[in-house]
Amino acid sequence: MESNKKYWKGLEEYNNTPDFVKNNKNEFAEPLPIEDVLNEAGLSTVTPRRDFLKALGFGLGAVTLAACQSTPLKKSIPYLVKPEEVTPGIPNFYTSSFNGQSILVKTREGRPIKIEPNPNAGLYNCGTDARAQASVLDLYDVSKLKAPALVKGGQTEETTWAKIDSFVKGELAKAQASGKKIRIVASTVNSPSTNAAIAQFVAKYPAAKLVQYDAVSYTGIIQANQNSFGKAVLPKYNFDKADLIVSFSADFLGTWISGEEFTAQYTANRNYKSLENKKMSRHIQFEGGMSLTGTNADTRVPVKLSEEGPALIALYNAITGQALPGGTLGNNATADKVIKLVAKELLQNKGKGLVVCGSNDVSTQILVNAINAAIGSYGTTIDLDNPCYLYAGNDAEFNGLVAEMGRGEVAAVLFLNSNPAYDAANPKAFTDALAKVPAKISFSDRADETASLCDAIAINHNYLESWGDANAYEGYYSIVQPTINPVFNSRQAEESLLTWADAPVKDYYQFVRSNWEAKVLPAAGLKWEQVLEKGVVTTTAKTAGAYSFTLSLAAVATSITNSSKALAKEVELQVYENIPMRDGKNANNAFLQELPDPVSKVTWDNFVAIAPKFAEKLKVKEFDVVTVKGSNGYSIELPVLIQPGQAQGTASIALGYGRTKTGKAGNDVGKNAFPFVSFVNGTMQYATSVTITPTGGYYELAQTQTHHSFEGRAVIKEATFKEYLKNAGAGNEKGEHKDYDLWDQYEKPGNNWVMAIDLNACTGCGSCIVACNVENNIPVVGRDEVRRRREMHWIRIDRYYSYETKDGDVTREKEIAKLEDLDHVSVVHQPMLCQHCDHAPCETVCPVLATVHSSDGLNHMAYNRCVGTRYCANNCPYKVRRFNWFNYWNDSRFDNYLNNEFTQLVLNPDVTTRSRGVMEKCSMCIQRIQGGKLQAKLEKRPLKDGDIKMACQEACSANAIVFGDANDPNSEVSKALRSERIYYVLEEINVKPGIGYMTKIRNTDTTVQA
Amino acid sequence: MRDISMILKSVWKSLFVFSAISVIAVSTVNAQDAKEGRTLFKAKCSSCHALDHKVVGPALTGVSDRHPEAFLLKWIPNNAAMIAAGDPAAVKLFNDNGKVPMTTFPELDEAKVKDILAYIKEGEPKPTGDAAAAAAPKDETTSGLSIAGIVAIVIVAIVILVILGRASKLLERLILQKQGIEIEEDVPLKVGVRKMFKNKKFVMFFILCLIICLGSFGWMGMWNTGVHTGYQPVQPIKFSHELHAGINQIDCQYCHSGAFKSKNASIPSLNVCMNCHKAVQARDKYDGEISPEIKKIYSALGYDPETQKYDESKSKPMEWVRVHNLPDFAYFNHSQHVVVAEDAIRQAKGLQPNEPVCFACHGPVNTMEEIYQYSPLTMKWCINCHKETDISGQKNNAFYAKVIEAHEKIKKGEKITPALLGGLECGKCHY
Repeated sequence: MESNKKYWKGLEEYNNTPDFVKNNKNEFAEPLPIEDVLNEAGLSTVTPRRDFLKALGFGLGAVTLAACQSTPLKKSIPYLVKPEEVTPGIPNFYTSSFNGQSILVKTREGRPIKIEPNPNAGLYNCGTDARAQASVLDLYDVSKLKAPALVKGGQTEETTWAKIDSFVKGELAKAQASGKKIRIVASTVNSPSTNAAIAQFVAKYPAAKLVQYDAVSYTGIIQANQNSFGKAVLPKYNFDKADLIVSFSADFLGTWISGEEFTAQYTANRNYKSLENKKMSRHIQFEGGMSLTGTNADTRVPVKLSEEGPALIALYNAITGQALPGGTLGNNATADKVIKLVAKELLQNKGKGLVVCGSNDVSTQILVNAINAAIGSYGTTIDLDNPCYLYAGNDAEFNGLVAEMGRGEVAAVLFLNSNPAYDAANPKAFTDALAKVPAKISFSDRADETASLCDAIAINHNYLESWGDANAYEGYYSIVQPTINPVFNSRQAEESLLTWADAPVKDYYQFVRSNWEAKVLPAAGLKWEQVLEKGVVTTTAKTAGAYSFTLSLAAVATSITNSSKALAKEVELQVYENIPMRDGKNANNAFLQELPDPVSKVTWDNFVAIAPKFAEKLKVKEFDVVTVKGSNGYSIELPVLIQPGQAQGTASIALGYGRTKTGKAGNDVGKNAFPFVSFVNGTMQYATSVTITPTGGYYELAQTQTHHSFEGRAVIKEATFKEYLKNAGAGNEKGEHKDYDLWDQYEKPGNNWVMAIDLNACTGCGSCIVACNVENNIPVVGRDEVRRRREMHWIRIDRYYSYETKDGDVTREKEIAKLEDLDHVSVVHQPMLCQHCDHAPCETVCPVLATVHSSDGLNHMAYNRCVGTRYCANNCPYKVRRFNWFNYWNDSRFDNYLNNEFTQLVLNPDVTTRSRGVMEKCSMCIQRIQGGKLQAKLEKRPLKDGDIKMACQEACSANAIVFGDANDPNSEVSKALRSERIYYVLEEINVKPGIGYMTKIRNTDTTVQA
Repeated sequence: MRDISMILKSVWKSLFVFSAISVIAVSTVNAQDAKEGRTLFKAKCSSCHALDHKVVGPALTGVSDRHPEAFLLKWIPNNAAMIAAGDPAAVKLFNDNGKVPMTTFPELDEAKVKDILAYIKEGEPKPTGDAAAAAAPKDETTSGLSIAGIVAIVIVAIVILVILGRASKLLERLILQKQGIEIEEDVPLKVGVRKMFKNKKFVMFFILCLIICLGSFGWMGMWNTGVHTGYQPVQPIKFSHELHAGINQIDCQYCHSGAFKSKNASIPSLNVCMNCHKAVQARDKYDGEISPEIKKIYSALGYDPETQKYDESKSKPMEWVRVHNLPDFAYFNHSQHVVVAEDAIRQAKGLQPNEPVCFACHGPVNTMEEIYQYSPLTMKWCINCHKETDISGQKNNAFYAKVIEAHEKIKKGEKITPALLGGLECGKCHY
């Protein structure tokens, strides 16, 4: 039986609005001006004979002249002295690390062009996130300062390092002599060498001190652990050891602490290999806004932000049998019921359960610690003895600093990788206080919000130009090594600190090396060169100890209840990090701006997410502009996005937008939501109460999801874990359809390149999209073009909503229409790319044979043959073909990245940049296939499975994408494709796609009785 | 005509040989030694020494005057032992020359050292008859000048013929007039042409010819648009492949090392040139001055041949003009062709074993004074080769063994070409 569960991509499709129906029938998003051309006046105009001849003559002349142009002289400029390790045309890979994660940097002729995960990374055995993938573009960012600068009267003047040094040294000497404080404000420093450099600086200027400040803070967890167990650390979470994961608004697959690492751990218990062993973890998510993690949960329960605390108290009470006050969820019967079930399940899975919470409130986190201790998580799923050093910011310390600055107690302040004038909870208070500091120095690479208020900007290297190191976890050290000479006249911040401290060793390479040789290498028994090759050093991990919780929770419960009551107003607002923009530090990265948010699929903007029914109550519709006014008086105007699954009475706004001084791409994109953050009970709180009032304005968000319609055909198949255990092919019943062939069968004797995508592993995070963009030189088109459905991404992730009731799936359209709230939607993410159909409909309709099939199962696209009829795009059932409407690399209207001669250095020289008027699509990274084959030929060996990896596959932390040769029965992909879960999208139209998808399995069935 | 020049040349040659022999006969006293010494000097010493200028070691002219022969006989084979033994003269010499140790030559016995010293004393033989005789055979190929000469002579001959014909006609007529015979006046040319153009058949034929001519001309022109066979731009350094790859037999790989590893054959960076040209300065051809072309390498690198120091601030990259231009949308990989497919290409193009595989597409590079584009580099040219080349010999490469086996199952008996293995599919070169 074919499942007739109904999926929809967006509310317009779900409601089948007349606009949606009409638009979907159209080829273009906007009507073409055909009417104007074909109206009476247009048709009856007469072209006089002379005009016609003139035009003809001019055209002929122009064409002749254009054709007469002699072949341009091409210069070829070799190295003067070629470095021995560089062979033009062959990439070099260097180990480095990004935010503590060990990576490989691919360079061509000395230019870093791609980030890849380091297979020797050990602990971080995962892909890379979108930020890491996009970070190569930041290196070539032309919005950066080209030289260090002094700021005088609001004007930045580029100057020399000698002048900066004498200025700063003078200021620091004055500050030291004044007896006042010197402060270095930095986002978490987990680099041992940076810390050593700061120590040298402090030795020279004893008044100096490091204040760590993270825009999105984890102080709550750190302090809660100090309070509960006497360890002020962020623990190491082991999601791979958890059979039951309960998350309270922690977006651990996306932005919470270390999303990629957690994704790898999480999917290890849910992917096809785990399922073949009949094992699948269960994940229950309680949250207000729809997060990426929420979309992946087996059971997702929307709770208001003010209900989160009471829910945790209720859970604690149910687990321990105690009766802490405040654990009532009177208004949320579903949550109440689920909490009781979850408590039973957690008790059943003692030592195999994990409860995480995204709150930054110390009391809440203490309660979570108590719950985890009660279910025996410590020592198994939570490791306090090998802690995580990714975040160490201290909110209270930073707030204290602002107060000190305001009182004039600080004589000098240095900003390292921090931008509080943009992301502080109260930017006004911060900038006012900053004005009272005599000497202000920033290490920012550009005159950003904070740096432009400073006196000197000692521009720092990009991480790809730097030496350095990171210590992400206890005993886990990774190296940062430069992959290019500094692009601008920048200097590494640590070197600046050492210079100002008159340190004996100022060369930071020597400094890092001697630091490692003294502290890290002897213990690991490695040499420096070996570390540079491997990228990481791990020392033996300590045994994770079990911890018990003994403290009284009375005060904690009271604090939680009070906060919850304070929050419970008409509209509860949650500000959150979204995947593309995170805390806004990379806002000028066009790749990230155009990466659709995984849930809302919105690009180039933030918005107010509101549940459909709540929107009705507020009398707003989608894209209506509303004023959001916080309890602290801060207000912004943003468009509304109707978000199914959002808890009633809540709204969510993404952080990281509304930068004003980051650069051409990122300035004035969206609105800044950081001022909604409040400082309560010693930590930053990311929930507040607001009022929402419509302004009457309308603003269309640039969404990518609803651009294509599958016309109601079944593209998603799913089953529950219970059904799967009974029958591995559950949900994948093949419907009756006729097999017919318009094409001749032909052989694929050599290789047959195919792909398998595990829908159960894919979390929808989107790092594959950015990896593909960087690998294949895909242009960024900007907000307006995305609105016109012209985004160029070769791979997209389709997000489908579906609805479940307790009586089972909603099966008929009519029933869906009757449903009243859309709170309990479930979500499937489906990566969609060219399916390389064996019987490709696009090939049949191409009048010039620009797209043809190869003998190894690929659908080739010859750009220089394409004349741009776009027949292929119209005939593609998967809607994966993209048309170049403009010369994006040579058109000032698209000044995002490709249009700049300098930024073009990021392009992959093995892939052609496409010109206007041609069609493009996923090539299955054919440059990688050809490169892998050539390597095997040169080594005179047969191609091995795993020699060739796709860019998307490599970036995927979840290992959801398997690529390989279907002609090799032992290849990973052949094994995956033999799974009973494999189905082909739109199989019934007989195009014989080359990409198999595995059914989505949900572990929805509780193992306990209510 | 050719014969005459050949005869002239051989006459010249014999004259040269005669004069050369007489010169040699005169100076035969030390000649045997000096000639032997020259060979030894070029093999052993010339990488560090020159006669008239400093290279790594000092200039050697007059060395016999500066040092006693006994000293030199000991110093040259094993200077290190002398220094180690503390010979004061040896230590002084070592210190005077920046303490750069000289290579030891235990293989040089006393006679050989004497030969070398004899050569140094004698100096480089003057480029007299010998050199001219050696240079002469170069002209044996038909030069552009001689073709022009032939053409000129032919034209002159035709002119003379025409004039003679006219004159004889005139004379004939005069004779006839004298004899009183009436002669028919020639039909004026103009009238004849006009008459011809009234003939419809002729007009038809003429127009047809015109169309065919113009059409074929246009057709050829269009086919050859963007085809640059023979393209030979002027390069910033007059680098001669004939000298380097031809006469000196330097392997292509020595400079174009990328061709065997990468898609780019790559133009060598100037430090590769300096491996030889630090010592090789061709001074003998430029009156003791460094060759102006080699000087260009030095100035690009900021190298001062006197002090032998590099000054990076004066360096500037060399801008060569690219000769072989593939369009950006076509992917070509050298290593695939010169390493993986070397045998197949050699066979298909009929290369001699002593010719590098590069000649298959780049032509006889060893005879090109300045490099030019030999092959058309059109897609048709690529495809023809991919269609015709038999690559069944690739079976000894384990990669191909598997692929060929797979293909043979379905296409038994057919010739195995790159095309059969999918080498003509668009995406193999265009991505």
